[in-house]
Amino acid sequence: MNYPTDLKYSKSHEWVRMEDGVAVIGISDFAQSELGDVVFINLPEVGDDTTAGEPFGDVESVKAVSDLISPVSGSVCAINEELLDAPEKLNENPYGAWIIKVENVGDQEELLDAEAYEKHCAEEKG
Amino acid sequence: MSELKRTQLYDTHVAAGATMVDFGGWEMPIKYPSDIVAEHLYTRHFCSLFDVSHMGRLLVEGPDRVKFLQHVLTSNVAGLDLNKAQYCIIPDENGCAIDDAYLYRFEEERFLLVVNAANTDKDLAHLMPIVEKYDCKLTNITADWAAIAVQGPKSKELMMTLSGGEAVTEPMKNALNTLELEGHLARVAKTGYTGEPLGYEVYVRSADAKWLWDRLCELGAKPAGLGARDTLRLEAGMPLYGHEMGVDPDGVPMPIFSVSLAKFAVSFSDLKGDYIGRKALEKQSETFKRIQNRDFSDMSAVPKSIRPIALLERGVMRAGMEVFRNGEKIGWVTSGTMVPYYKAEGEGLETVITDEVVKRAIGTCYIASDVLEDDTVEVDVRGKRVKAVIPARHLDTMAPPFARPIVYGVELSKRAESSEGRPARALELLKRAEENHIWRQKKCVNLIPSENTPSHAVQTLCASDPCCRYAEHKKVKSFYDKDIFYYQGTGFIDEVEQLAVEELKKYFGCTEVETRVISGQMSNMCVFSALMDWKNRLDRKHTPQRLGYVLNNHIIKGGHLSAQPMGALHDYIAVDPVTERSAVVNFPVCKDDIFRIDVEETKKVIDEYRPEFIIFGKSMVLRKEPVAEIRKYVDEQGIPTTIMYDMAHVLGLVGDYFQKPFEEGAEIVTGSTHKTFFGPQRGLVAVNYKEDELKYGLWETIENRAFPGSVSNHHLGTQLGLLMAVYEMNHFKDQYQKAVIENAKSFAKSLKAQGLNVCGDPSIGYTETHQVIVSVGYGEGAEIASRLEKNNVIVNYQATPDEEGFTASGALRMGVSEMTRFGFGAEDFDKLAQLMADCILRNKDVSEDVTKLRAAHTEMRYCFDDAQFDAALNELASKIGF
Repeated sequence: MNYPTDLKYSKSHEWVRMEDGVAVIGISDFAQSELGDVVFINLPEVGDDTTAGEPFGDVESVKAVSDLISPVSGSVCAINEELLDAPEKLNENPYGAWIIKVENVGDQEELLDAEAYEKHCAEEKG
Repeated sequence: MSELKRTQLYDTHVAAGATMVDFGGWEMPIKYPSDIVAEHLYTRHFCSLFDVSHMGRLLVEGPDRVKFLQHVLTSNVAGLDLNKAQYCIIPDENGCAIDDAYLYRFEEERFLLVVNAANTDKDLAHLMPIVEKYDCKLTNITADWAAIAVQGPKSKELMMTLSGGEAVTEPMKNALNTLELEGHLARVAKTGYTGEPLGYEVYVRSADAKWLWDRLCELGAKPAGLGARDTLRLEAGMPLYGHEMGVDPDGVPMPIFSVSLAKFAVSFSDLKGDYIGRKALEKQSETFKRIQNRDFSDMSAVPKSIRPIALLERGVMRAGMEVFRNGEKIGWVTSGTMVPYYKAEGEGLETVITDEVVKRAIGTCYIASDVLEDDTVEVDVRGKRVKAVIPARHLDTMAPPFARPIVYGVELSKRAESSEGRPARALELLKRAEENHIWRQKKCVNLIPSENTPSHAVQTLCASDPCCRYAEHKKVKSFYDKDIFYYQGTGFIDEVEQLAVEELKKYFGCTEVETRVISGQMSNMCVFSALMDWKNRLDRKHTPQRLGYVLNNHIIKGGHLSAQPMGALHDYIAVDPVTERSAVVNFPVCKDDIFRIDVEETKKVIDEYRPEFIIFGKSMVLRKEPVAEIRKYVDEQGIPTTIMYDMAHVLGLVGDYFQKPFEEGAEIVTGSTHKTFFGPQRGLVAVNYKEDELKYGLWETIENRAFPGSVSNHHLGTQLGLLMAVYEMNHFKDQYQKAVIENAKSFAKSLKAQGLNVCGDPSIGYTETHQVIVSVGYGEGAEIASRLEKNNVIVNYQATPDEEGFTASGALRMGVSEMTRFGFGAEDFDKLAQLMADCILRNKDVSEDVTKLRAAHTEMRYCFDDAQFDAALNELASKIGF
């Protein structure tokens, strides 16, 4: 399992990378592995607001659907449209396949560094 | 929570990195590291293994076993033959499902009932108190045997590797077999839960489970988990208890006839007595039939039905989501997800399955029974109404070896209509016809065994005046059976018909011949109709009884379509009340030569079924039919029957070099006049009844069923051509027939020498007929036949007796009669074999060499050609306008 150290992670398994005040958000390697084959994704539209700790979309694997939880509040300034047709990219390259970008970032969830997140995953796996 | 149970393969799954989950009290693999999508696709493309050892296996044995099972299952257990399986449902008194199951009859005196893992305890609680009332016992043997499903297009090949090349089962669905796989005892069923046309469920002793699993993996199969099993069965439209059966999301029990599969799983045979749920099921069945006929006036017994559903907009359906029609809730999604498939390109047999993976959101729903196919509905996908459609199916399994996804909205391309005017199109037709004529007659080597080219004389006569005339006629008792014609101007054709009949009697060595039937298929229908009429002649006050039992060659074993219940026998064959299937049994074939009828086994079948009608004859035919042996046997046993030989393919071979059907004891011969015979495309019926015999009445009935039964006018042009063809045949048959048989043997030998896999018994030179069969590899037949056509060699692709159907054809069927008529000899066939091997084995372009070979043989043999004859023929042709 891969936990890049240049990223921050939410306990609900999203990763965040800040780029010039914009939050780039995706799902972690652990998340994609637990989900299994991602076959569908629902994304917000550019301009939609996000609230820290609230869903901004969902991903579906063959067996189940899971909400995508926004680690930050703000407004969506870009969505990765490529994922609509090829959601399997979330499995193939979870840290390359960003999902949304959020600007005007306000509130943030408690975010973990790579080491703490890895520990969190290990605990969750039991 | 009680401890989870584990199958014999638990450690194997864990070692392979499977994700294990609780499934009905069992710790089972939901997926392997490859994950569900890859496992699903690998099943469709190659072969997957599923551990199904968790499913409940209940053994039923004892004198009352059939009686007990008839009472607790929906199916007709009395109709289940040895080595066959049937789908069935365990009903409750209200006609709802306690479980669905498969019943296997691997042994004469025991039945194996396989039930859902999660329901095993419930089923046992239901069945145990009942079985106590019967003189039989029910034993849970789940732990004694392991079960592995081997599913996918390569499954047959892998299983045959383990069986050492022995057929794993008969190629039909639900066939069973007990055999050794590399020394391990296995019970194999051609069943499955994936929709794969090729797939087996294999039962082995627990100790052999790991061996079988590992060995199949070694051969290239991959493990698949319950996740893929679910997406595969969902795509195949197969019900899963708890989703498509059981109770609906409101807790209301679902009637069994909500699932259209009930039509096959539920029997109302008298033999079943007053079984559990019968009355409720009869009511459901009546409702189901009304609904199928689009009478929705009273759907109360089956208010909702299980249907496939496909999303037309973005989204994914999940079980439990509500379905709406025009804003009104009409039911729920029962199963749904995103299912992958390999995209296909091209149409028909040219369809190519690409490696591009596409996904579609499909599912199954339980909705109001009055929804029609192609209706659009809406699914509430977490608060959003998403448009969906009710398609006919998601998958089709009728074109093996692959299961074919049926994607909603795909339409076949249409031929663009010509913008030219009709005169231009008419001109175009002439040009195209000329092109086609030259190609087939001058450039192609024609090896279709059901074809021949008639001589110029025959073709010219076919086009002469009678081709546009009418000549209905019938024997009339008042005039001592004189044939009375209904139209004027028919004196000539009357004479021609009489001459043809007399010539044909000589050809067959028989008493009567009917030539008015215009095809081989019609010949058979005429005889079947006559036999049925003859059978019922003494009781005209009841609906006539159909024929049964009939003994024939199975279509998969080379039998004619025209002697099958799906062909000409369709309207004349009875349904056996015990089996609830057509009252047909088939000639057993020899294990070491599947092209040959096993006479000793046939005698046993005759003893058991006492068939009233025996039909010899095949369309894939390498051997003589054992007419004499079977005639002798039925006479000795005093079995009243009628023996017919459908000689369509071999009609031109009647005589010393092949068979003399009437001398051997056939009573009726039918056939088409254009395969090995020299005629235009017609049929005929010949019989050998004498006027003082009782069965001469059957002959008179045959005449009556020819006219007015089958034809009114009988195509007089070709009737004229037929007379010339019979003259040719009777004059040239000794040379022609000898040459055909010799050429076939010689061609077979040459093909073999070229490295091709020639079917049949080498000790007789592979063939005793005009046909030669070459195996080119499972499922490769159509592609190779198409490649040969591009190289100007015209053959049939053909499924051999151990293949599933025409799309799985692994053989080429060839006949030498037409080329023999054009003068091909051993050397020519040897050259042809070489060219074909180049094309088949080395993919070489041999088209020009083939045309060169053919160009040297365009003059027809075995026909009259002296100067006086030619002059008269030219004179006639010029009058017709040739």
